[in-house]
Amino acid sequence: MKTLILGLGNPILSDDGAGIRVAQEVGKQLNDPQVTVAETSEAGLRLLDSIVGYDEVIIIDAVQTEKGQAGQIYRMEPQDFSFAKYFSSPHQINLATSLELGNELNLAMPQKITIFAVEAKDITSFSEKCTPAVEQAIPEVVKMVLQEIKQSSFESS
Amino acid sequence: MKKIMIDPITRLEGHGKIAIFLNDDGGVANTYFQVPELRGFEKFSEGRPAEDMPQITQRICGVCPEAHHMASTKALDALFHVEPTSTAKKLRELLYSAFYVTDHTTHFYILAAPDFVMGPDAPPAERNILGVIAKVGLELGGAVIKTRHDNHWVIQTIGGRPIHPCFGLPGGVSKAINEEERAKIEEIAKSSVEFGKLSLKVFDDVVLKNKEYLDMVLSDTFTHRTYYMGLVDENNKVNFYDGKVRVVDPEGKEFCKYAPRDYLEHLAEHVEPWTYLKFPYLKKVGWKGFVDGKDSGVYRCTPQSRLNAADGMTTPLAQEEYEKMYSTLGGKPAHYTLATHWARLIELLYAAERMVELVQDPEITSPDIRTIPTATPDEGIGIVEAPRGTLTHHYITDERGIIKKCNLIVGTTNNHAAISMSIKKAAVDLIKPGKEITEGLLNRIEMAWRPYDLCLACATHSLPGQSPLEVTIYDVQGNELKKLSQGIS
Repeated sequence: MKTLILGLGNPILSDDGAGIRVAQEVGKQLNDPQVTVAETSEAGLRLLDSIVGYDEVIIIDAVQTEKGQAGQIYRMEPQDFSFAKYFSSPHQINLATSLELGNELNLAMPQKITIFAVEAKDITSFSEKCTPAVEQAIPEVVKMVLQEIKQSSFESS
Repeated sequence: MKKIMIDPITRLEGHGKIAIFLNDDGGVANTYFQVPELRGFEKFSEGRPAEDMPQITQRICGVCPEAHHMASTKALDALFHVEPTSTAKKLRELLYSAFYVTDHTTHFYILAAPDFVMGPDAPPAERNILGVIAKVGLELGGAVIKTRHDNHWVIQTIGGRPIHPCFGLPGGVSKAINEEERAKIEEIAKSSVEFGKLSLKVFDDVVLKNKEYLDMVLSDTFTHRTYYMGLVDENNKVNFYDGKVRVVDPEGKEFCKYAPRDYLEHLAEHVEPWTYLKFPYLKKVGWKGFVDGKDSGVYRCTPQSRLNAADGMTTPLAQEEYEKMYSTLGGKPAHYTLATHWARLIELLYAAERMVELVQDPEITSPDIRTIPTATPDEGIGIVEAPRGTLTHHYITDERGIIKKCNLIVGTTNNHAAISMSIKKAAVDLIKPGKEITEGLLNRIEMAWRPYDLCLACATHSLPGQSPLEVTIYDVQGNELKKLSQGIS
């Protein structure tokens, strides 16, 4: 089973880099030829290009919700985003639309997609560091991602 | 005063907020277009080696990293006083042309086409790429994905990495291409030319053959008579990678033409109290407010502006389409904002044709890809045409090449004043006293700024956590009268 761990975000824009930081850490702790760890600042159609051909994809990103607390961690699946399917994410089309487009065009879409998101505080200041609450959440998300991979390989074996 | 908020804009890079203030009669009093400011880039870059800038600046924007990489690399050429080899320049332009093909493809099919293929009044749930594919056919959807995918391969092959290239160095590039790679790029370039032709046919069938759409394109609601800016070669033909910046006046006469190093003589920035983002204008005309015409220093740089500012295209098929466009629109310059979508597709075809020319050049596989810099660095300015407008990078360093000062004018910022004006004009023309404010009406206002292919504060990529589009109407006392949330179900 081919798995992709994809950190999403901007590594020089404070908390927006949280997903990339998690992916890098997961990459250091994993040694599995079936798992690819990658990072990207892209979303929308370019995200679709990245995930085609994998059986399972785990995406890690920052998120800003109306009432969220900085550092809060969410585990989500694509259907959790269907409310916004027809609108943009901040970039191009959003994840749900990309996935539907991939299915519509019969691309080799992953069977399972899991999204881990960290509630961000600052995504508009240029910095390579995250804010303290998000910084603290990073090792926790790393654990959750590793656990998710373990669980999936157990289920598929 | 009543207030309508559109927050944020759908199908747009970055978050934007539109506030439309109504007068007591229900007509439009004023409009404001606000974007969040990304803070502290200059400080972030200070003290870093200049050679890192092509890597760092491409992170500013998640949409056009290649444009920042290229402008930054050219600024380094100037900073280190070094002339890249001929092959290096051609490889840079080849990658950049492939980037244009992908970027313009994305804008047209994802952001622009839904308005025309589905219609501006179609419900939001249908007015998107999925609706377009359902109507135009899966085959076209497949061609969009394939063209993007193939050209990303070109970017990766020449640039060393997908998305964020790492090949730009002062004086050249870090890697040559071999014959096998060249042959594959040639194949992709040729198929991109076919895709460009197909896209213009789609535009012809969907927009130009529909009288209602053509009338809308030519309507006063979507028209502004401004100055136009674009990069041109020595024959005043459109060039995305290199040349001089040419500005024409609203009558199409050359107003100025300058080398990148002189940009500060020609541009100044106006500041408004309600937004952090500045409004660049033509210094020698002056800031006269948010108005168009020859006396106002407001200029635009979009695909349409680049075509207006030039005397033509260097490639045959794009030139043919260029002539057709101006003959249909009644001559040059064209002031019709919505025709920018058409110009974008002509640029797409040009970029693909240019790829074919470059990849067939015998020099393209030469290993002579770098001139080693030997001069002491001090100051460098690099300009390319980003898909969203002229992109300027300006660095000042110490003698070791450490950044002391950095100034960037990014593509969309050039158009900031014009975007604000386009929003206001559309709002004034479309929102009338006693007329119900519908979703379709609001989409028509959005259509006024969509051609600019906005990319404001686009460096953030966090997931949308709340309702993406809300329109709130307030009464004179500021009480909420009505709230519209588009299509949230």
